[in-house]
This record gives sequence, C-alpha cells and structure tokens, in this order.
Amino acid sequence: MSHLFILAEGSNAALITFTIYTLAVFGIAALSNRLLKSKSFMSEYFLGSRGLGVWAFALTFAATSSSGGSFTGFPAKIYTHGWVLALWIGSYMVVPICTMGLIGKRLNQVARASGAITIPDVLRDRFNSARFGLLTVVLIVFFMSFNLVAQFKAGALILKVLLNDVEIFKSFSLSVAEWTSGVGFFGSDSQYLVCLLFFGVAVIAYTTYGGFHAVVWTDVMQGVVMVVGVLILLPLAINAVGGLDRATQEMSKMTPPMRGYGVVQLDDSTSEIAQLDKEDWLKMSDGDSMRVFRVASSKTIEPGTSMVYGVELLEITTPSEVERILAGETPSEFVDGATVTRFSDPDARYGKAVLPAGKDKGALEPYTNIPIDGDEDQRVITTVTRVVFPIDDMVTIPIEIRPSRLTTEPLSEARAVVNVSTKSVKYASGADTPGVYVSGPGPSATDSVGFLSLSVAISFFFMWAISGSGQPSNMVRLMAFKDAMTLRRAIFTVALYYTCIYVPLVFIFCCARVLVPGMEAEPDRIMPEIAVYLTSGIGAAWLGGLLIAAPFAAVMSTVDSFLLMISSAMVRDIYQRNINPNASEGTIKKLSYLCTLIVGSAAMIVAINPPDFLQDIIVYVGSGLAACFLAPVVFLLYWPRSNVHGSVIGMLAGFSAHFSMYATGAFVNDSFFRPYRLLDFDPIIIGLFVSFTVTYLATLATPAPSQELVRKYFYRKVKADSQA
Amino acid sequence: MEPYSNSSSEEFELDPVFLNSRREACVIFGVWFLCMIWAVPVSYMMGYGREIVPGNVPTVFGMPTWIFWGIVCPWLVADVITTWLCFRFIKNDDLGVAPEELAQAGDAGNETATDESVAKEGV
Repeated sequence: MSHLFILAEGSNAALITFTIYTLAVFGIAALSNRLLKSKSFMSEYFLGSRGLGVWAFALTFAATSSSGGSFTGFPAKIYTHGWVLALWIGSYMVVPICTMGLIGKRLNQVARASGAITIPDVLRDRFNSARFGLLTVVLIVFFMSFNLVAQFKAGALILKVLLNDVEIFKSFSLSVAEWTSGVGFFGSDSQYLVCLLFFGVAVIAYTTYGGFHAVVWTDVMQGVVMVVGVLILLPLAINAVGGLDRATQEMSKMTPPMRGYGVVQLDDSTSEIAQLDKEDWLKMSDGDSMRVFRVASSKTIEPGTSMVYGVELLEITTPSEVERILAGETPSEFVDGATVTRFSDPDARYGKAVLPAGKDKGALEPYTNIPIDGDEDQRVITTVTRVVFPIDDMVTIPIEIRPSRLTTEPLSEARAVVNVSTKSVKYASGADTPGVYVSGPGPSATDSVGFLSLSVAISFFFMWAISGSGQPSNMVRLMAFKDAMTLRRAIFTVALYYTCIYVPLVFIFCCARVLVPGMEAEPDRIMPEIAVYLTSGIGAAWLGGLLIAAPFAAVMSTVDSFLLMISSAMVRDIYQRNINPNASEGTIKKLSYLCTLIVGSAAMIVAINPPDFLQDIIVYVGSGLAACFLAPVVFLLYWPRSNVHGSVIGMLAGFSAHFSMYATGAFVNDSFFRPYRLLDFDPIIIGLFVSFTVTYLATLATPAPSQELVRKYFYRKVKADSQA
Repeated sequence: MEPYSNSSSEEFELDPVFLNSRREACVIFGVWFLCMIWAVPVSYMMGYGREIVPGNVPTVFGMPTWIFWGIVCPWLVADVITTWLCFRFIKNDDLGVAPEELAQAGDAGNETATDESVAKEGV
C-alpha cells in the first residue's frame, strides 16, 4: 500500500511539473516572439539570426540529439540487457567532437557566404542548382514527416506513463472515452488520445509562436533538467543498492526471466478482483519452494470466475531475486487471493494466431489442441483461453506451441489456425546462464547471437558518431552559432554534458535492475519507477516529479526541432526560393506561422492512429538521412572538385542502398523494420559506404564545377599588402 | 596555398578557414577511429565469452573490469583529447558575415559583401 501511495504522490508531482513546464515554455515563446519583431524574420524564425552563444548552442544541440529515447528507450535497454549497454552507447565519448567538429565550422562559414538559412539552401547555393535544392527538400520532408509522427506518438506515450496514476487524468480520460465512443478514428485508448492532445497542442503552439529561439531556449531549460535529474539520481541509486560493486555482483547471479501464459486461480469467485493489472505480482507454490510471477499484460476477469486462463506472465528465474522479493526487500506487493496454478513449459513457444471465420457458432475450451492450416508437419498449437467462434469474423487467439512429446491429446477437428506468430518462452540468448548481465553480448529475448555482437557493436560506433554528423536537424544548429570560439567552447560543454548523462545512466539503471525487479513486462516505465522509488526514500516526491519529467522534456525538444525543419523546407525552400522570390516579409511571416501550425496539426492527427514500430521508424529515418546527406555535405565542404552531378547521384545511391537493405528485410525477415544485414553490418554502414564511394566516383566521371563557384567557396582574394 | 589569377588579374589563394577546417576534420576523424579501435576490441577481448563466477566478478570502482578499461577509460581520454582539440588545436577562424547580418547592420547594396567578408583580415 505504501508503495502505491508513493506512486500516486510521485504522479501528482509529475502533473505539477508538467504544468510548470508548459507554462514556462509558453513564457519562453512569448519572449522569443518579441525578438522576431526586431530582426529579419526569416533568419530569426528559422535560424535564430546566427547568433547562438555557447550555452544556448551547446544545450540545444545536446537536447535535440538526446531524444526521448535517451530517457525511456536507453534506460529500458540497460535494464533489459545489462552492462553491455555501456559498449552500445560507447561512441558517445566522441559524438560531440565528431558531430560538431567534423563539419561545424566549415558549414557555418559556407552558409554565411551564401546567406543560406536551411540545409537545402546550402546545397542549392553551393552548386547553384535549384533542382538539387528541391530534391533535398523532398527527401527531408519525406523522412522528417515519418519521424514527426513517430515522435508525437513517443511524446504522448511518455506523458501517459508519467500521468498513469493521476486521478484527474484518469477521470478526464474516461470522459473523453465516452465522448469519442463509436468514432473508430479516435481508437480505443482514450488516455493516449488525451496525452497526444496535450502534448501536441503545447509543442505546436510554442513552436509556431516563438520559432527557432523558442525552440532553443526551451531546449536549454530541458537540457538543464535532464543533467540535473541524472546527477541527483546517481548517488541515490548507488546508495540504495549498497554500492556499485554490490549491484554488479547481484547482476552476475541473474538469469533472464521467462515469459508465457499461465492460469490464475482466485480464492473466491465472488472476489472483488475485477482485473489483473499489468505488473501485478503473483506467486505459485512449487513443492517446498515458491515461484514468483509478474503480470505482463492486463487481463479482465469475468464475474463469477474462479480460474483465469491465458494470463500473460513473466517469471523471475533468479533464486536470490526471488528470495528478496518474497522477503519484501523490493517494492513488490502480491495480489491477495490469487495464485498461479499453471505456467508455460520452458520448452514451449507462446504467441498469437488467427482463428478464421466459420459458419457455425461454438467454443473451444482452454488448452485445446488445434492444427495449423496448411502446415504439413502438423505442429500442434494450443489455445490457452476459452475461444468462442465468431460467425463471420476472424479472431486472434493466444496460443502456445508445445513440443510433440508434451502433447498427447488429440487435435481439435473444429478448424485450423493461420498466421501463427510466436516467441520462445525462454530468452533466445542467455537463458539459464548467470553472468549474462555483466558480460557481452548480453541477453536477448529474440536474437540467438545475443544483444550486441561484435559487428553490431562496430555498427553502433558508426551510428552515433558518424551518422549523427549527417542529420539535417544537427546541421541546422551548426549554421546558427555565432563564431568559431562559440563552437569550440560548445563542443567542450557538450562533451562534459554527455559524460555526465550517459555514463551515470548506465550506472543508475544497472542499480535499478537490482532495486526494482520484474520490469521486463514494461521496461519503458523503469525511469519513472526508479525516480519515484529513490526520491520517496528521502521524502522528496517533488524531486521525483522533476526527474520523471526529464524524458518528456527530451522528446519535446526533439519534436519542436523537426517541426521547424519541415516548415522551413516548405516556406523557404519551396515557396520563397522557387515560387515567389519577391514575397514580402509579412507574407513570409504569415506563411511560416501557418505552415508550422498545419504541419504540426497534420502530424498530430496522423499520430491518433500511429504506425507501430515506433523505435524502428526513428532508427530508419535517422540512418536514412545520414545515408543521403552526409557524403554530399562532406564533399561539398571539403572537396573543391565536388559537383552537383556527383552529389545527386551519391545522394540517391545512399538512399537506394539503405532502402534496399530494409526492403530485402521485408522478404527475408518478414518485416520491413527488420532489415537485411549484409555481412552482419547495420544498413547505415552499407548506406554510408555506397554513398561516399558513388559520390566520389560520379564526381570524377562528370564535368568539374565552374571556376566561379570554386572561387567563391574555397578561395579568398589575396590582400594588397601580402601581394607586395 | 597556391595563388592563382582570374581573367581580371585579381589574385586568389585557398581560404585558410577551408584549410584549417579540413585539417581539423582529419584529426577528429582520427580521434574517432582511435577510440573505436580501443573501445571495441578491448571490450570484446575482456568482456565477451568469459567464464563468469556468479557473485565474484572482477571489478574496478564497482563496474566490471572490461567496462572500466574498454569504455570508461577511453571515454575519459576522449574527453581530455576533446578539451585539447577545443582549446589548443581548433583555430579561432573568422567565419564571415551573412548578407542579412550586413543588412541588419545598415549596409545596403552589398552584392559583393560576401566576397569581401571572406577576404577580411584574419580569415
């Protein structure tokens, strides 16, 4: 109970923090809007008048790069795979010097020389080619639009996690559910809808009104919150676990959990338990010992039921962890009056299948064996719940595939399932192996070679440091700093900033693995969970609120940057430079506001029913942009011989090579977002290799650029006194 | 820096900002490569495929030995190198003035402003 109280207290603190945040960003937007009135609108709105100082430049760069993933996905990965995440994120040791230093100074100079405000501007002016500019606009809008929808979804999901236990939020969501019932477009998750609306309106409003400076200043505020949050959490976590060494030794005893279906028996069928909530704890008596489970997916209990079938469960398999949970040393409270009586066989697989429509009504009882349609081997699958046949509709049923030696019962003659999708009950790599959390390649639920093989580790060293240099959202910031001194100091600041963020995050969430067990059911919640757990120990729930708002701040700072990039591409690169070069500043101003508003609103509407594979979309877009942009930009900055033909061909080749890896994955791995890995390397490495090679060769094979362009960007007039 | 002349007999030389930036980029790329060939092989050799005795993992400052020597150590070295690059190696070049900055400052009709700014003293 006390833990539930603490959670509620922490969530209310999150609500207060969210409210303060929202008010603060609106205040910042108002201040930024005043700046717009005193300077050149276009340059100020989209580039902050090229006047960013050290702190603003450093923190906007760091905050934009650290998207919501840094505070949700990354902690979840540390929790799930252990110490090996230090190697996964290792290249952040050189990310600041690479992403800012490789092209920063030169890009800023070239942009100033031509008066460029956007990345398409730079490419267009450097080669004096309007068509090339338009091609880059198309690519940016294509990639960024996907990413914007994905980030809106991420923002809404994070907010939903933060406000999960807030009563006002729950009751308001219920009201929204009533208002939208019957309208299929709004989906069935009213909490998500409410969060999307709040998040979307806040971000669109302050970005539209304040422009680049609003984005930068909110980034600064959010960047400070992030680093302060991490630095407070670090000593609290290490102290709570009894030292980092103890965390490592405890982790070395751990084995990955098993996940599958179970049967839960209720002591009393008239019990008030109406639902088994996700993350509820359950026990199972097994002779003299006790097994411990966590509910992995919520399950509604029908009235009058005493046996609940098909409950998705996670079993804790580490004996020392089970002992600590049973002894009450962890924040784990068991559901009264409910025990697990059956759980998946360790050798089974679990998942879902489709039961096709039939002409007759009827039902299958739990644990009835069913054949797979068209499978010559006649593998036996088992439905784990009672299934009522629909008349004219298909139904998805939870299933287990069990080895034939475990199934002696006859197959049902009723019908066969199709579209079977299953996962191993045990982890594909690291199951039953103590030590996997403190060594490489780390445990993996799906990949039999482990989480981080050698080739994937090399790929990530490329991914963060090199492909990060090729992100247009980073490049725009490199065009906005004031002078070279600002760049030098900012690189140093961001290097310290990342050291203070990423190394401590690994320590904190290794400790979290020991302190808060069983979070594999929903690892994205580990950040708010550990923040509330640690700060409640020192009686500072407000601090928990501040800390769990950090991921929200991170995703906000990413979304606003992407939003501005798309609208700048449309207003500056399409309208002003191709349709109406003589447009008045008033027209441009209205169009910029309108475009930011429309693009943001459109992304929010699409995000009401967002695509799945959120993290996969973000990875695809990030690596795709690098495969398209990095090679042409590096060559145009550092190679006087580079020309428009080579750049266009190289850009398209990078796009095609990267895309083809994903397209091949759709055939080979049955999913576009499980790309084919040539020589086991990530598509980003293939894309960059092809892009650089083709750009170089195509440039040499095509005519040299005009002397005038080369002179403008690579030479300067010799001064009179030096001639003398 | 080889100067050359155009048809109007003006003399040009390679822009020092370009030369400095290119030199700095080469060194930065080298630092990235150095960090990669330190972090990945050391982590792989010390941390992959080793026999683990549960509860008795060798550690340095509480973290597994391979994390300390393979990640934390090069990370600190990278920070030192970054600091040196920022304050000793990267040149404090003048990046010029954008057309709208000149206009803001009250300069009108500066079609050639960009060329002039690039050719300023100390570029």
